[in-house]
Amino acid sequence: MKSRFFTGAAVVAVAALALTGCTASADESDSAGGALKIDVPDLPTHEKIGDFEDSLDIVAWSGFVEPAWSDDFTKETGCTVNRRVAGTSDEMVQLMRTGDYDLVTASGDASLRLIAGGDVAPLNLDLVPNFGDDIVEGMKGQIYDTINGKSYGVPIGRGANILQYNSEVVTEEPTSWSVAWEPDSPYAGQIIAYDAPIYIADAAVYLMAHEPDLGIKNPYALDKEQLAAAIDLLKQQNKIVSEYWADPAAQITSFAGGNTVVGTSWEILRKLTEDEKFKSVLPEEGSTGWSDAWMLSAESDSPNCAYAWMDYTSAPEVNGQIAMGFGMAPANAAFCDLNDEAKAHCDYFNATDEEYFKKVWFWTTPIEQCIDGRTDVQCTNFQEWTDAWLTVKG
Amino acid sequence: MSSPIAATMASTTAAGDVSLTGVTKTFGDMTAVRDLDLNVPQGEFLSMLGPSGSGKTTVLRMIAGFEDTTSGSIRIGGEDLTRVPPHQRPVNTVFQDYALFPHLTIAENVAYGLRVRGQSKSDRSDAVSSAIAQVRLEHVSSRLPHQLSGGQRQRIALARALILRPRVLLLDEPLGALDKQLREEMQIELKSIQREVGITFIFVTHDQEEALTLSDRVAVFNNGRIEQIGTAREVYEYPQTEFVARFLGLSNIIPARTVEQLTGQARVVSVRPERVRLLTDADATSGNDIVLAGTVAEIVYTGPTTRVLVDTADGLRLITETQNSHHPAADVEVRRGDRVRVAWTDDHSATLP
Amino acid sequence: MKRRTQLAGLLALPMFWLVGIYIFSLIMLLATAFWTTDPFTSKVKPGFTLRNFEQLIVNPAYLSTAVRTLLIALAVTALCMLISVPLGIFMAKIAKPWLRGLLAVAITLPLWAGYLVKILAMRVTFTDEGFFNWALGPFGITGPSFSVTTVILTLTYLWLPYMAIPVYTAIRQLPANLFDASADLGAGAWRTIRTIVLPLIKPAIIAGSIFTFSLSLGDYIAAKFVGGSTQMIGSIIASNINLNPPVAAAFAVVPIAFVVVYLLSVQRTGALERM
Repeated sequence: MKSRFFTGAAVVAVAALALTGCTASADESDSAGGALKIDVPDLPTHEKIGDFEDSLDIVAWSGFVEPAWSDDFTKETGCTVNRRVAGTSDEMVQLMRTGDYDLVTASGDASLRLIAGGDVAPLNLDLVPNFGDDIVEGMKGQIYDTINGKSYGVPIGRGANILQYNSEVVTEEPTSWSVAWEPDSPYAGQIIAYDAPIYIADAAVYLMAHEPDLGIKNPYALDKEQLAAAIDLLKQQNKIVSEYWADPAAQITSFAGGNTVVGTSWEILRKLTEDEKFKSVLPEEGSTGWSDAWMLSAESDSPNCAYAWMDYTSAPEVNGQIAMGFGMAPANAAFCDLNDEAKAHCDYFNATDEEYFKKVWFWTTPIEQCIDGRTDVQCTNFQEWTDAWLTVKG
Repeated sequence: MSSPIAATMASTTAAGDVSLTGVTKTFGDMTAVRDLDLNVPQGEFLSMLGPSGSGKTTVLRMIAGFEDTTSGSIRIGGEDLTRVPPHQRPVNTVFQDYALFPHLTIAENVAYGLRVRGQSKSDRSDAVSSAIAQVRLEHVSSRLPHQLSGGQRQRIALARALILRPRVLLLDEPLGALDKQLREEMQIELKSIQREVGITFIFVTHDQEEALTLSDRVAVFNNGRIEQIGTAREVYEYPQTEFVARFLGLSNIIPARTVEQLTGQARVVSVRPERVRLLTDADATSGNDIVLAGTVAEIVYTGPTTRVLVDTADGLRLITETQNSHHPAADVEVRRGDRVRVAWTDDHSATLP
Repeated sequence: MKRRTQLAGLLALPMFWLVGIYIFSLIMLLATAFWTTDPFTSKVKPGFTLRNFEQLIVNPAYLSTAVRTLLIALAVTALCMLISVPLGIFMAKIAKPWLRGLLAVAITLPLWAGYLVKILAMRVTFTDEGFFNWALGPFGITGPSFSVTTVILTLTYLWLPYMAIPVYTAIRQLPANLFDASADLGAGAWRTIRTIVLPLIKPAIIAGSIFTFSLSLGDYIAAKFVGGSTQMIGSIIASNINLNPPVAAAFAVVPIAFVVVYLLSVQRTGALERM
């Protein structure tokens, strides 16, 4: 869960980006997506676009639905767009369960819950022509939007949880997450960690590389033993962290204020420090990341408007506007070729660099069924992760 | 300022002597007390009398230590206490509104000073009982102050101060909040307690009758200074300034011009109304008498006395006061508008500067 | 009859507020504490289980967090008292009127600003390159960085007005001559404070402490922003509120229990009647 807690006044600068995480998990894209069978309610898909309804109610991260592009949509379709900004994935799930909303910008740690709960309907991608070849490979067919061969989401954008460091203190570029995990780190006491149960996956990514004996194949598919190992690593890290961050503003001030010299970050946060001394790297172990997608409520009373919106926002220009506004890699690669500014944005956020995102494990709700394909054990679910996370800080 | 007592005490120093030398107190631009000298010998009951704002309470608070002096020194028993904080001075105070601690019982209030001195509960209980007994309030000792009447609280405040056996007891208008009858009872009680304990009492009041009744000496304050200090009789009968004459009861101030016409000496005199006789035609006057003629302007019956106000030809209004006798027939028999003569013996008047 | 109607009219809104909103939501919260959650969809299912409460005791992390939160709340309350009493005495009895006015504004100033603004201000103050280290660094003093200590200082800063204002008002209302009388009877300043001032302002201190104590118990934003790795009861409730409402509800009972115990213990002193 990412908490996108808005700190009102304080954070004016950062407010725009306050929304953080998103979702989706993935694994090696080939292995997990299609192959895995998960029990989900069987819901009908929308057959064809009919007459537009009057209005469209969207639960969104702040910055995803803005008048800059929703006004034009209303002009084109006559669908009035009503936005409800949510602060966390949990809040989004709760809001979607009221049945009052048509669409949600679901993140990976919310999407599986929504799909499994029957809260969102499978999509007819034929009705979203902009969801085409230009959608980056890494965002197609991921577990967050494709279950049992059915698509549930239209991708919006993605980002990685990177290792940021203060190059005045950390003079040599770190190649491994070990500076953030090992007790003998030279930066002990100046390390920042992400403050959410999903951060357990970051420990699992590190263990995948350094403790192969544990047999972790997917950081979101941990059996009890593997979870315990991840928690042990987190407890070890707890002794050397300066603080945990959930609020982007807090993360930026922690680096800027000197409390922290190395730790988990996003590209957009580094950019917002506006200070060249802060650099970032995607370490050799790879990392976790997040990816957001539009999802359609199973109880939507404006499906035609909703499909139109998903298509509209998947167009390169609009998708790019959202991505630039929020600070993430856009889902539609066609945006990157629009102009120099778009190109620079895509480069900065590695939008089309699939090699880069191959190393990224997008956030996915952990469930009891092991999404790495194992059937001989039961994996730990998100509730267990949450309970375990609370023991890290004690 | 040459009272006989002060003169005798000046030479030797006793523990209860209070001596102020050149004391000045200013509050911002306002001077409350100006260059004041005052000597109070051990065992004296001194009243500081004056209108509000005359500086008397400020002097008391400086003796207690609640106010610093701006300049000058304060000695008690010869020891310079000018810079000693209040809790280390050998004086105790009875406050105008008693200042009993509302959360402590009467016995605890009275015991407070002993407790502060570190006396154990068992040691102090006898002293507390007898202090409360001295003011005859044994039956209220376990009550809280708000359950007591004003007079009872006043007596407890007295007991609380006296239990510490101070060398000097300061009383800041302690009877001011009591009704007249209770006040008179308390005056007698205060006087007898003072006689009993034999310590110096310095008593602030604006009630001239109270001051005259209680005190060995009265210091009359005006405008930050002592206008006159002396025994009750001295300040009453022989006021040295017009202020004192007017502040202490009623007074006839005869201007120099009039006195010169009558006696040949150009001086202002003050004469008390009860010293002025209302003459009938038959009444004789002696050579010492000063006689004036006038018209009865007003007749005021006060109970024990009758006052007759007489306007003289040169615009002076004189007050005469006569004791009423048992028989109305014997009382003053004049009417408004009657032509009368008034007279007083020159010895009974005081010459003012 | 008419009087009754009037009375009903008078009480309608407060009763609706108290019973309808306040009590009802509290009861709903308590009821939820006995329900269960579907582990996958995190949908709440009515039922009856004591497991959520069992967790509070069995789970060492929950227990230590509860204890830590209690200690933080007590420390904040104690610190607020330690600051408020001397400050109140200074303002009420020593300070010149202009300084008194200035201090009154300074004390209430935090109430004018937004809660998050204040927390973030404290965050900025206590960063390694922040004001605290800048000001005290030259004297060899290093700040507590982000830690439990910083949480206590921040909460003290946040809640001080709730203690300082009633305490100052109470001291101001003490008759001046009680101070004189105590000094006159031989008591020094500390003795007067201990034996006269403190007993007389006890109701104000208790009133203030109810605020500082319960507000501190419920807070978690301070822990989040200036606590480094500090976790409080509120942090756990916030983590569970959407995902596992029953556990959050069960945990919400803990601060309520602390406050009830606290109220009962101050009530025994008789202080509440004088509030």
